[in-house]
Amino acid sequence: MGFILDGLIKGFSLIVNGDAEVYSIVRLSLSVSIFATAVSVAIGVPLGALIAIKKFPLKKIAISLVNTGMGLPPVVVGLMAMLLLSRNGPLGFLGWLYTPAGMVLAQVIIATPVVTGLSLSAMQSLDRKFYLQMLTLGAGQWQALWVCLKEVKLSILAAVIAGFGSIISEVGAVMIVGGNIRHQTRVLTTATVMETHMGNFDTAIALGLILLSLTFLINMALTFIQQQKARAE
Amino acid sequence: MIKLRDLALNLPSGFALKIDSLDIKEGEVFAVIGPNGAGKTTLLNVLGLLQEAKPGLFEIAGRNAIPSSGRTALRRSMAYLFSRPYLVNDTVYNNIALPLKFRGEKDSGQVAGMLETFKIAHLRDRSANQLSHGERHRVSLARAFVTRPRLVLLDEPFSSLDARVKETIIGDLGRITRAAKTTLVLVTQDQEEALALADTLAVIKEGGLLQRGEPQEIFSRPASKEVADFMGVETILNGEVAAKSDNLCSVRVGASTLEVISGCDKGDKVLLCVRPEAVSVSKAAEANSMRNHFRGRIVSVEPWRLEYRIAMDCGFDLIAAVTKRSLDEMGLKPGDEVFASFKATAAHLIRR
Repeated sequence: MGFILDGLIKGFSLIVNGDAEVYSIVRLSLSVSIFATAVSVAIGVPLGALIAIKKFPLKKIAISLVNTGMGLPPVVVGLMAMLLLSRNGPLGFLGWLYTPAGMVLAQVIIATPVVTGLSLSAMQSLDRKFYLQMLTLGAGQWQALWVCLKEVKLSILAAVIAGFGSIISEVGAVMIVGGNIRHQTRVLTTATVMETHMGNFDTAIALGLILLSLTFLINMALTFIQQQKARAE
Repeated sequence: MIKLRDLALNLPSGFALKIDSLDIKEGEVFAVIGPNGAGKTTLLNVLGLLQEAKPGLFEIAGRNAIPSSGRTALRRSMAYLFSRPYLVNDTVYNNIALPLKFRGEKDSGQVAGMLETFKIAHLRDRSANQLSHGERHRVSLARAFVTRPRLVLLDEPFSSLDARVKETIIGDLGRITRAAKTTLVLVTQDQEEALALADTLAVIKEGGLLQRGEPQEIFSRPASKEVADFMGVETILNGEVAAKSDNLCSVRVGASTLEVISGCDKGDKVLLCVRPEAVSVSKAAEANSMRNHFRGRIVSVEPWRLEYRIAMDCGFDLIAAVTKRSLDEMGLKPGDEVFASFKATAAHLIRR
């Protein structure tokens, strides 16, 4: 039991004293996951909205694919991304393997189906006639989609929260694609795994606490915005 | 305003819409009526460019409406209101200004004008979520008219409103469209709504237009049994024109002879149609100018719209409508012997 307590104490001291390495890991974790979430939202929200609104052949298959993507195992995504980015892979020319850019790519692959699926579901909760009504008022397709998205903005915000949540605490993909290289691709999850394996439970606990706190703070901020909007409506 | 030829549309549901020819004149109020599932909304969706269709010819205000490209520009020359007012979660002002925003136009007083016209200026800053049903309809109408469209399509827009609100909105709409010479295409199941607004009426059933013409003409002279049924003609009898003198036809219906003013010829097999409100009922034989008098027995008395529907056996089935007051005064009940009469001009013959 003593080592857990020691770990907690050391963890808090690392946080309070502003350990430079810990803070660089935190910065990288946040920047990779926030950037990946932004890319996933940019792709997933309009894609989900279009799939929900448009009528096209094989629509049910497209929705099934998105739903399957929502449960993609991160290690499989990591493996796929590594194969794509490896020197002889189709995207090898990018030179992204073992770089933050590669980690962003892997996280985008994980988060995009989550954001797409939840946006799709949010848009399907809106009567399709609402979209058609916007078209009849003179909206172009994208204008009509934008108005529809604003109508379901609370659900879209939930999709953003879920997308971020699916990658900030993910370890398998970033470990494979990033390689957990110190000062380059080491993020909170991979560092926690490594410190645990090395028996440095105090550092592992500190990193775990930081990850937990960050996830909580970001989700709390998004939830706060969401609930403010809900109250305003 | 609208010219449509050779429209044959088959939907995945199996429903088919087939219209050989449809012309709607500029400034006209054109009402399409028909039962549920007749194809009214599908037709309106074609006209509103929401339903892909490849007719032989389709022009809106002289512009070809067939190509898929350029639909947004064409839609901007019209407005289309669904039966439910789909308002965005924003203020009344922002809802009405939305079509201007879509067109990249500034509000130069149009919104205020619409707020006044539709008597909702006091709701300007209120959230759409806080409006009553009737107010939401008014906002929806104001939003449709804010760009001064030349063509407005209405899909059963008043079906969910109570009678009083509906009456005032229909009154305002009729006044506004006539003043602005807006072409209005209205689909509805409600005959009274159609008769109140329409210059031209078309009856649609099972994807085909059965009859079009002036509302009073269709109301009193339906061209087929289906139209007669839908227009509320309760008495439809099989008969044959036994004799004709000038335009007065003597029609044999079973053992009875009925007299009807009609252009049919002697020997024609016909359907004889009489609207229930054209038949008068009394307890005693009355001397009046009506050419058709029959003694009969009441089979049933049922509430019907705001009146009572009296079914009688006069040697043939005859339906009359009487007011509650008349019903009470005469004490009419099933089994009573009564006298029914109607004018020769009140009946209508359809050749079979």
